Amino acid sequence: MSGSHPPIVEARDIWRIFPMPAGPVAALREVTMEVSEGEYVAIAGPSGCGKSTLLHVLGCVDTATSGELRLEGRDVGALSDAARSRLRLEKIGFVFQRFFLLPMLTALENVELPQAEAGVPPAVRLNRARLLLDYVGLGHRADHRPSQLSGGEMQRVAIARAMANRPRLILADEPTGELDQATGEAIAGLFDLLHKDGTAVVVVTHDPSIAERAQRVLRMRDGRFVDRELA
Amino acid sequence: MVSAGASRVRSIGRVLFVIGLIVGFGHALPSAITVNDTQPDPPAVLFSRQLLAARHLQVGDVVELSGDPSGANPQQFRIAGSYEPMPDPIRVTSERLEARLHLPDLLRLTGDPDDPQDDDSLSAINVKLRRPEDAEAFARDWSARVPAIGVRSSSGGETEHNPFEVLSRFHQAIASLTVITGAVFLLALMVLLADERRETVGTLRLIGLTRARVLAQVLVEGAIIAGAGAIFGVALAALTEGVFNAFFQWRYDTSLIFVRVTPSIAWRSIAVAIPLGMAASVLASWALVRSNTLTLVRR
Amino acid sequence: MRALAFAWRSLLRRGGRSALGIVGIAAAGALMFDMLLLSRGLLVSVRELLDAFGFDVRVLASEGIPQSRLPIEHALETARALSALPEVASAVPFRIGEAEVAAESERPDEVALFAVGATTRRIWTVVDGRDLSGREDDALDVVVNRRLAERMNAGPGTSLELRGRCSATPSILPPVTVRIAGVATFPFDSGAQLTMASRFEVLDRLCERPVGEADLIMVASRPESGPDAAVDAIRKARPDLYTFSNDEVIERFERVGFSYFRQISTALAIVTLSFGIVLITVLLTVSVNQRLGEIAALRAIGFSRHRMAADVLWESALLVGIGGLAAIPLGMALSIWLDAILRSLPGVPATLHFFVFEPRVLWLYAGLLTGVALGAAIYPMWLVTRLPIAGTLRREFVS
Repeated sequence: MSGSHPPIVEARDIWRIFPMPAGPVAALREVTMEVSEGEYVAIAGPSGCGKSTLLHVLGCVDTATSGELRLEGRDVGALSDAARSRLRLEKIGFVFQRFFLLPMLTALENVELPQAEAGVPPAVRLNRARLLLDYVGLGHRADHRPSQLSGGEMQRVAIARAMANRPRLILADEPTGELDQATGEAIAGLFDLLHKDGTAVVVVTHDPSIAERAQRVLRMRDGRFVDRELA
Repeated sequence: MVSAGASRVRSIGRVLFVIGLIVGFGHALPSAITVNDTQPDPPAVLFSRQLLAARHLQVGDVVELSGDPSGANPQQFRIAGSYEPMPDPIRVTSERLEARLHLPDLLRLTGDPDDPQDDDSLSAINVKLRRPEDAEAFARDWSARVPAIGVRSSSGGETEHNPFEVLSRFHQAIASLTVITGAVFLLALMVLLADERRETVGTLRLIGLTRARVLAQVLVEGAIIAGAGAIFGVALAALTEGVFNAFFQWRYDTSLIFVRVTPSIAWRSIAVAIPLGMAASVLASWALVRSNTLTLVRR
Repeated sequence: MRALAFAWRSLLRRGGRSALGIVGIAAAGALMFDMLLLSRGLLVSVRELLDAFGFDVRVLASEGIPQSRLPIEHALETARALSALPEVASAVPFRIGEAEVAAESERPDEVALFAVGATTRRIWTVVDGRDLSGREDDALDVVVNRRLAERMNAGPGTSLELRGRCSATPSILPPVTVRIAGVATFPFDSGAQLTMASRFEVLDRLCERPVGEADLIMVASRPESGPDAAVDAIRKARPDLYTFSNDEVIERFERVGFSYFRQISTALAIVTLSFGIVLITVLLTVSVNQRLGEIAALRAIGFSRHRMAADVLWESALLVGIGGLAAIPLGMALSIWLDAILRSLPGVPATLHFFVFEPRVLWLYAGLLTGVALGAAIYPMWLVTRLPIAGTLRREFVS
């Protein structure tokens, strides 16, 4: 189930039930999983099977209806909203399908943003933001705004932003969903790089080229894991 | 009308006069009015509603009035009734402590006992002319004939400095400022509305609607929004008119009407609002209509 | 990037919309600023006018409006007695009347006439010729305001024929010929008013009144005592008279005569406040609704609810602050226009203003704008802080 390193995330018997007018809908049912330090996990499955919901619960942006979630051994359910925000800021990096870069900021400022929020001194964060943009191959586009970047470039900036506070876990939700195949390959290469550098990566994807690079692929259907295989 | 003062005289000796001997903050009143029930058949006097209430009097009471603020030489009167003073915006903050007497009673009350001719003198006579347009000429003619009296037309001149004209100009100035402010608000709303429907406009253009057609639609929408807003505003003003009047009538103890939504004001409001709304909607949508269609549908 | 800088960038991002918000606040703020100037302007101006007289205490024989007041008998002796009080620097009896002066036009001109007892302290300032003197030969001297001098084409040394207007009607007493000693400025003059000042003797001749009567005595307190001590001393010495300091006159004016402007300024200030709040609330709410995905993403990245609320609050503060600052010069310019309209009311002294700036207006204005910024941000802040992160991200992907 997990790698040889201690787990960063441990989910036990997670249920997520959404109240709906036609009756409650269980998006996650008895989900149990672990992600170890430096591990690369892909979660695959048809649309509506609960992949993104699981990612949101793992990333502490959604709360499980029942079950236990631990991040680095801490019970996330016992934390206040402010503490969960802090946890996300310092321990988790998010990469979204639609990038969600702030259009009024340059690429560099977008990467600086989470560091600024975490209280990193300006000189330090500027230096790290430049390093990260170089890391994703966009050092020359640091002063460009998102509207001046292509989709692939925007996603690379988003990955640099996710790495800004040196998180131990990157969560990516369909990171290549809005990109063409070649660009998607390049983004997948970046996740490989992150993994090699010791960051745990959990990617929700339909893209087989990403799934095949993961150490583990977890397939979901109707809110459950249907089988588990090592890549 | 030609007037030499503020009081209206229709038939000397019979008309009721406003007497200004009881005014101000009321400290002179105890010496000027004394309730007394002993004297039979004293002459009648009318008291303003406010004076009756302030002195805890009622119709039928006999009171002593004096033409002298010190209360000297008082005379008895019976309160025959009360009246609501003529509303006067100039005196809205004053307590309307007033009484009306028959003119002979007033002359007897205020006349100088040492001056035998004093009971034949008046402070003013109001004259209604058959031809009101001759008022200025009449005033000039009588001023020349009787130099000791002042004869003036009550309607002539100085309308520019008439207090009501001045206040009306002030209110209009304030109203024009609120219209400008409202127009900015309307423009902001229209800009938001236009922004919300970028994709809709793009789609309409893609399926073949011309810019003029889209603009016409925007114009009609602007007119409808502004017209509906103006009608709502007029209705709200009409509904709250009573509340405003009731409050200020209570506050100043007057029957003066402070707010009145007349048909002319209602129409004027709507007539100003609709063109403003149309102009705001065109201004707000101009850039949108001129934009490239594909950029509108692309998020 | 801190919340203020972030909010600034957000406003720049939607420049046109932000500019409209600022213009709207500037327009509403200018009106609100003017209403604040109006709310106490007349009081401040009346206060300045009263102080300009150089007297800080008034003594009357009775209360009430001028027409119903009792005269002060033996006014000269009373004024002398009051002057002898240690708290009093000077006491001047005044009599107020009206006269008619024959003009070249067919209708005689009405003149406001102020008669003073034989003292040296004046409420006017002579600008040409000389002042009234106490000499017997000069008993029928007058000083006139510039407008009257120009109207009569007269100056120092010229004679005028006056007829009294006693009890609002022309006197049947023969006219009195007076001599213009000087031309003076009177602090209470309206733009159109013809004003004249004389000794008591002129009014005595124009309208037969008992000699020695005055309508009021104006008192200047000694600086080391102050008006309150002077009022106390006069009340103790002459309990039969009604004595008021300028502060008490202003307080009474505020209660009785000032209501209209206070009410209209309050009503319009509330309207403009509400307008500002609604405008900025609408702009911020729409802006927040259009950025829900972004906001949810920022929350997912780790931005706290407080931080997101602070961003919205700063946006509101910037819109209101910039608009509010722009409103101040705009409001000052508008107040000149509105003041000119109100000052054309008949009988308003030329030095009286309805819209008057005082530092407290700025503080009050800043306080009200702070209220607008806070009030306008409440709903969008609530939206931001209550935003479900996962649900919003899910909706964004589906859309």
